[in-house]
Amino acid sequence: MGTQYMSSHSLPIKTLLLNSLALLSLLHTNTILGQSLGDGLYTESQASRGAEEYAARCASCHSADLRGNSNSPSLIGLSFMFIWEGRTLGELFTKMSTEMPTDQPGSLSQQSYAAILAFILQSNEFPAGDNDLSSSANALASIQITSE
Amino acid sequence: MKLNFLAFTAIIFLAHNSANTQILDFEIVTDELLQEPPIEDWLSWRGTPKSWGYSPLDQINTDNVDQMQLVWSWALDDTGSAQAAPLVHNGVMFIPGPRGVIQALDAADGDLIWEYRPGITPSIDNTDREITAEDLGDAAMPATAFAGVGRGVLKNIAVYRDMIYTATENASIRALDARTGRLAWETQTADPALGYFYTAGPIVADGVLVTGITGCERYKEEVCFFTGHDPQSGDELWRFATVAAPGTPGGDTWGDLPLRFRAGGDSWQAGSYDPILNLVYMGTSQAKPWASAVRGTDGDALYTNSTIALDPNTGEMSWYYQHLPGDTHDMDETFESVLVDIDGRESIFKMGKLAILWQLDRQSGEIIKATDVGYQNIINVNPVSGNVSYRDGMIPRIGQQIDMCPSTSGFKGWRAMAYSPITEAMYIPITLNCELATFGPTEQVLGGGGTGPVRRINYPHIDAQDNLGELLVMNIPEGDIKWRYRQRAPINTAALTTAGGLVFIGDWNRYYYALDAETGEKLWQTRVTTSAQGFPISYMVGDTQYVAMPAGVGGASWSGMLPRELAPELNRPRNGNSIHVFALPSN
Repeated sequence: MGTQYMSSHSLPIKTLLLNSLALLSLLHTNTILGQSLGDGLYTESQASRGAEEYAARCASCHSADLRGNSNSPSLIGLSFMFIWEGRTLGELFTKMSTEMPTDQPGSLSQQSYAAILAFILQSNEFPAGDNDLSSSANALASIQITSE
Repeated sequence: MKLNFLAFTAIIFLAHNSANTQILDFEIVTDELLQEPPIEDWLSWRGTPKSWGYSPLDQINTDNVDQMQLVWSWALDDTGSAQAAPLVHNGVMFIPGPRGVIQALDAADGDLIWEYRPGITPSIDNTDREITAEDLGDAAMPATAFAGVGRGVLKNIAVYRDMIYTATENASIRALDARTGRLAWETQTADPALGYFYTAGPIVADGVLVTGITGCERYKEEVCFFTGHDPQSGDELWRFATVAAPGTPGGDTWGDLPLRFRAGGDSWQAGSYDPILNLVYMGTSQAKPWASAVRGTDGDALYTNSTIALDPNTGEMSWYYQHLPGDTHDMDETFESVLVDIDGRESIFKMGKLAILWQLDRQSGEIIKATDVGYQNIINVNPVSGNVSYRDGMIPRIGQQIDMCPSTSGFKGWRAMAYSPITEAMYIPITLNCELATFGPTEQVLGGGGTGPVRRINYPHIDAQDNLGELLVMNIPEGDIKWRYRQRAPINTAALTTAGGLVFIGDWNRYYYALDAETGEKLWQTRVTTSAQGFPISYMVGDTQYVAMPAGVGGASWSGMLPRELAPELNRPRNGNSIHVFALPSN
């Protein structure tokens, strides 16, 4: 349509920014380097809060049991891991917090997105731990999603 | 006695929602009225049971449409996605909103007459006729849940006799008193805990409510279905399973899979009706999981991706035509059936995600013609026999990427096409897009299944440069292209044609347009609250023709993923579900 404005959402800029943030996080978030999902990266209470948020904001599309519907992918089991295995928690958190819910993207607090992510991890049988999952995409950028 | 009578009257008054008034002079909607509606009314979701999406009104026409201006607008609930198909009868508009809300508005000025709110509006006789959240248990959606792209979204409603009929997020069908908006009955048809819900409402055929259900992608002991209901009592008269069970006709088209692992065949767009043949035409969606390799059978999977002709009184199938046997790319063919007679031959025109225009004989179901617009790269189709075969390398294997056009979002969606008897052409909203798709596995267990995961990399269609939106106009029945209108933003509404020589459409970027139906010249435009979305209609009250244009958020991948990824410079508000009504200046 011939717009003359540089979009603030243009993909190359976004990609560049995310890559930069990922690099920064590797340099400055020593505490989470080397952590894996098997280490217990969220708390039970955080996942419980996430379950409530999920029911209210996510379940109408992704279903109460996280298995999705025709328009919304499954967030559990084989289907979830097919999409996300090998990618990072930071990527998933960024997708959730910038694109979800699809009708009102970014409308939840960062803490709420982290709680919902904790609920998804719990539902996929990743163990809970003593500390809440971070609500910073940078801090999550080095954590691989892997079933191993 | 007098005191008692006054007290009784006061109770009735208090029990009634004080905001509501009544339609005192409601005229009964008969079968005859539905089939041959007065040109002022819009009584079926696409105008008439033929589903042309055409208004015979011509007060607004190519000469004066540039003077059209806003008369009134109305905000619908912002509790989910709006894809409204309003109805108009005798100067009253009935419009569905998200989460089961139905409103009756004065169609000339937008004043609220009544509204029905599930769980709030009392029933017709103040008895408990509603299925409550307690009844549904874990299957109940939280009252505050936002209805995104699934449960809680409703496209169309029906009017018949003195009732408004709707289908719900909780897999039930409701009847409301058209005069007051109060609930007359509610009938559960399936268990929402198993995934069932409605996004398309009923149609009325020979005095029977015919409705198709969706939410059938998960493995369960039951399958998707159409039902016929008695409009007065809500009693179920018949049920037609859209998936063939083992041991029944067509049952061998799913290989050796037991019924529990035969999923799909959903219905999420309302049907059409031919009163002469007394046949209802319903569409079904693809088999689930989407990819045959994931389903575990490369059989035809009847009766998925089919047009099915049914006797509305018995549910008996007269014929079926399966457009895409054994579909393996998520290529829905569930959309509207447009009934047009061509040289005396009673035809149905249909188009699915592949942008192949199918012409069928609506008495026999025989294929007359298949016209591939040429945008897709997945199948070869014989234009005479309608037989389809997959192109080399295009049957997906698990974990192996294929390059497919369209994407799993499709070229055609629920944005219904419209027919104009003046130009003898079909006006088809299209979104141009392709995808690098990698289909993945699901668990073959009860409760599992689903569509199956797809790693998607969407990209623009090579023929369309940066344009995602297209209004494709095809001459009928030849199938050649009359003209195309292309633009950056996806076309996001059904098309509306009028006897004024116009076609109305709206886009994701909040514009509504009036185009010259003959030439495609843009004659008028306006901009609304959020994405134009839903089913525009035209009607008349008094001496004035109106055009009503709905807008709404949500709308699945056409309204979410595709514009976000492929036209990221475009934005829309998070809210803004609404209807906007236009007319010529009164002087």
